[in-house]
Amino acid sequence: MNSGTIALVGNPNSGKTTLFNALTGSNQYVGNWPGVTVEKKEGKFEFEGKKYHVIDLPGTYSLGAYSEDEVIASDYILTGNPDIIINVVDAGNIERNLYLTTQLLEIGKKVVLALNMIDEADKRKIEFDIPGLEQKLGIPVVPTIASKEIGIKELIKRTVEAMNNGVVTKNPLRYNDTIEHHIDHLTKALEKVNLPYPARWTALKLLEGDTGIFQKLKDYQYFEALKDIEDFYKYHSQENFELEIIDSRYAFAHWVTEGTVHRPEEEVITLTDKIDKIITSRYLGVPIFALIMLLVFQLTFKIGGDILGEYLASIIESLGGLAETFLAYINAPGWLIAFIIDGIINGVGAVIEFIPIIVVLYLLLGFLEDSGYMARAAYVWDELMRRLGLQGKAFISMIIGFGCNVPGIMSTRTMDNQKDKMITTLIIPFMSCGAKLPIYSVFIAAFFPNHGGLLLFLLYALGIIIGLIMAKIYSKALFPGKSSYFIMELPSYRMPTLKNILRNMWDNVYGFIERAGTIIFAVITLLWVVAVLPVSAAPYSEFSILGRIGTFIAPLFKPAGFGTWQEAVALFAGIPAKEAVIGTLGMLYAGEYLEGGNFLVNAIQQHFTPLTALSYMVMTLLYTPCAAVLGTVKKETNSRKWTIFVALVNFAIGWLVAVIIFQIGSLLGFS
Amino acid sequence: MLKEILRIIGREGYISRPKLAAELNISKVLVDDGISQLLRMGYILEDKNGEGCSSFCSSCSRAKACSKEVVKTFKISEKGQRLLQASS
Repeated sequence: MNSGTIALVGNPNSGKTTLFNALTGSNQYVGNWPGVTVEKKEGKFEFEGKKYHVIDLPGTYSLGAYSEDEVIASDYILTGNPDIIINVVDAGNIERNLYLTTQLLEIGKKVVLALNMIDEADKRKIEFDIPGLEQKLGIPVVPTIASKEIGIKELIKRTVEAMNNGVVTKNPLRYNDTIEHHIDHLTKALEKVNLPYPARWTALKLLEGDTGIFQKLKDYQYFEALKDIEDFYKYHSQENFELEIIDSRYAFAHWVTEGTVHRPEEEVITLTDKIDKIITSRYLGVPIFALIMLLVFQLTFKIGGDILGEYLASIIESLGGLAETFLAYINAPGWLIAFIIDGIINGVGAVIEFIPIIVVLYLLLGFLEDSGYMARAAYVWDELMRRLGLQGKAFISMIIGFGCNVPGIMSTRTMDNQKDKMITTLIIPFMSCGAKLPIYSVFIAAFFPNHGGLLLFLLYALGIIIGLIMAKIYSKALFPGKSSYFIMELPSYRMPTLKNILRNMWDNVYGFIERAGTIIFAVITLLWVVAVLPVSAAPYSEFSILGRIGTFIAPLFKPAGFGTWQEAVALFAGIPAKEAVIGTLGMLYAGEYLEGGNFLVNAIQQHFTPLTALSYMVMTLLYTPCAAVLGTVKKETNSRKWTIFVALVNFAIGWLVAVIIFQIGSLLGFS
Repeated sequence: MLKEILRIIGREGYISRPKLAAELNISKVLVDDGISQLLRMGYILEDKNGEGCSSFCSSCSRAKACSKEVVKTFKISEKGQRLLQASS
């Protein structure tokens, strides 16, 4: 015969199931709760010759209607009529667990608190005043270590005592006068009907806006009570009852632990706070960001370019030599040899050579992201962005745009202010994406090998500066109005995991490799065909189809200092995909193979000067974005007009800045 | 605790869970709970930053890099703003 039913209730991970096992041993049976697939565990134990039934309720943080587990636990406690509840509380997280305890006390059921995992709390030097807790809560509190079956006998004894002692559980929590007044009002309305739940509890849940309770009142057809409640809400719909009630429960839980739970003195100011004080400082934030990025680019160039890049370049060149020997050995036709060596190895290979730089850059950026620094960077930029008429979230899109402009623009979807969305979309193409890295890398290797990191940093910085200037202009001229406000989460600093960093790097590098094998290959193949036709013209000469087109457009770039047809054609080849700029130069300069070192670097040294190299890099940084970006602008703005605007305005800005750099540089005597 | 969390978030313009825990003298777990409650009740809203292009370019080679959430951002909703104004 069952002498009493005990329900086990607790937060997930409070050790509730371990306690259930310790109580019931092998006397268990498992089923499902009616109508759901949630497991229902029941068991029995014997104490002083009497049998007790135990039900292990699903783990839940509160009693309400917000999850299936909450609903099952609430329903059982309210309608299943257990004789007593053992509330299993994780001793190390007692403040959080007491929220549920407070709700159990409000229901008015008999409760015994099992302060579980007390050994874990002990390791953390947390001390408890058990009599103090019992006094404040008004229920028995028993320390337990369920995993070692410590305290179980005492828990059973106190539970059975409480079950039979006839003492009624008092609700120790009183809300503020307004809430109490409303609870009384609703309780009176609910007492008119024969509710299966405590009227005060139901009134509280109604004030909290618990939809489950509303539905139940409808299901039971308590129309009289419902009418009173609906009348009540006509006058009080805007009030924050739910927040007040929840806040009061947290305040109660805090009051219970004050003086009864003693934690060792923790450092109030954490390491994160100390670091943040400097890193997010109004005056130091941006310079620190600039320094960190400078270091990133220096390392990128040193490790990715000087060490790994040269190694890969030599492998690709060796492959080229081997391929040429093999093709000659099998008597392959001349056009095929030219296509494979000049088109694929020198064209596509020129792009692949720069993979190490991209790998290192994204490893470092991934490290910054995973460590929590990037959130600080965005926060630091927020104020500056606001002054320029943008919200700081635009900076997050800009950071994403460093990988690829397409996701940078896509990320503006989460902006609900049209002004912010449009301006950010228009300035993202000024951010230097990964596809432009091979272009900078080869020019830097040709003319600025000792200042690679610095120059890379300055190019990225120039993209940001031009973007910000244009944001200000667009904000004033095209999209006046206020930016929306948002809040950023600054996560705690943490040591980045290798897995996350590698995944971040691979997500970015994979796209680059795939493009090299698809769109870049296609562009280079197409350009190779028009560079060797007609047959009557010398291949790769200005008399080829490509040469004639290039010769026609080349004068446009004369004021910027790079007016040959190859350079002009390469820029336009970059519109399908930016990497194709370097691939095209690699293919077109293939006929000028020079011994020693990287042939493309050598060829570029013949065709450019340091000043024209600089203006060419700036042009590629700022001019018309690639086709994928233009397509995304079209999709996101749903406007052909804005797409053409981006294509033309960015081209004009790129051209203008390149011309300014070349002309001023020439006036100052640079070459 | 909830109103205090909302007030500090509104004042600072960012959410730092360790800082909130230190300022309110509560555990970080409780801060997490408080933020979850404020989100659930609609006083603050979380932006879905990682969902920018998941529906658009699942076949794109950059889709994974694109769908990542660099920074988590929130907004104080109108309901939250009203509460802040009422309690100021």
